[in-house]
Amino acid sequence: MTKPVDYADGNAASPFAQMLGGLIEANVVSRPEKLKDFHNLKARVGIFVTDIDEAVTLDFEGGHLLVRNGLADGRDVTIRADADTVMQLSNVRIGFGGVPNYLDSTGREVAGKMLRGRLKIEGLVGNLTTLNRVTRLFSVAE
Amino acid sequence: MTVAAFSPEWAQAFKAEINKSPVYQQAGKGWKWTVGLVVEAEPDKKFPEAKGVVMDLFEGEARDVRVGSAADAQACDFVISGSYSRWKQVALKELDATRGMLQGKLKLKGDLPTVVRYTKASQELTECTTRVPVTWPDEA
Repeated sequence: MTKPVDYADGNAASPFAQMLGGLIEANVVSRPEKLKDFHNLKARVGIFVTDIDEAVTLDFEGGHLLVRNGLADGRDVTIRADADTVMQLSNVRIGFGGVPNYLDSTGREVAGKMLRGRLKIEGLVGNLTTLNRVTRLFSVAE
Repeated sequence: MTVAAFSPEWAQAFKAEINKSPVYQQAGKGWKWTVGLVVEAEPDKKFPEAKGVVMDLFEGEARDVRVGSAADAQACDFVISGSYSRWKQVALKELDATRGMLQGKLKLKGDLPTVVRYTKASQELTECTTRVPVTWPDEA
């Protein structure tokens, strides 16, 4: 089996890139329920952490993820948030029908940050399925 | 009363702060692993030898916090390493531990999803360190 996650920048992958890639890899390897999303997801997703000025691009290639430093062109979805919010996104619970739960305390906090502009998602229109899949792959909540 | 940074007295004061924290009691529920903090040496900061902080954290309680060798800390289930200066920045609230890890200023070893699941708990542990009045060797 090929590695599920690779780094375009090799040994020069940023700590943030390694952390996000490592998080998704661990989720995919240890939680089989995430494999379907991982295999079905084909999208380029950017994440920019506003308070530390770090960014990565995640190229989901249907069963493989290539993580690169910085924001590459041609992104389907871009998430811009501070580090705390990025961590919170990983703690969003997945509710009925595989839809992220924005009604519990963590979900409400995340939704509130979106309303206040502390969490910005570009490309949301037309990419809701992609965003839900990415959220499920990120989520570490049990 | 201030205590010397990373001394046995500091470890006891840190433990007491953790066990006084209702936030940690709540956020740490379910956590049952040891955490080691490796404080790397910086001789030019009057911190000539690496030290390890070994934390036995269980279900929102600090059962033990002690200062030992770096090897002691590295044997824990989760290990966070950084230079003396980085840890000092964390304790002085100049560096958030989560941001420090995302920037590679602090290095984490251990199961990532578990650590991310307990982000709130780790943030509160950082808060607890900031409540311990410390004498820093490079300022003494």
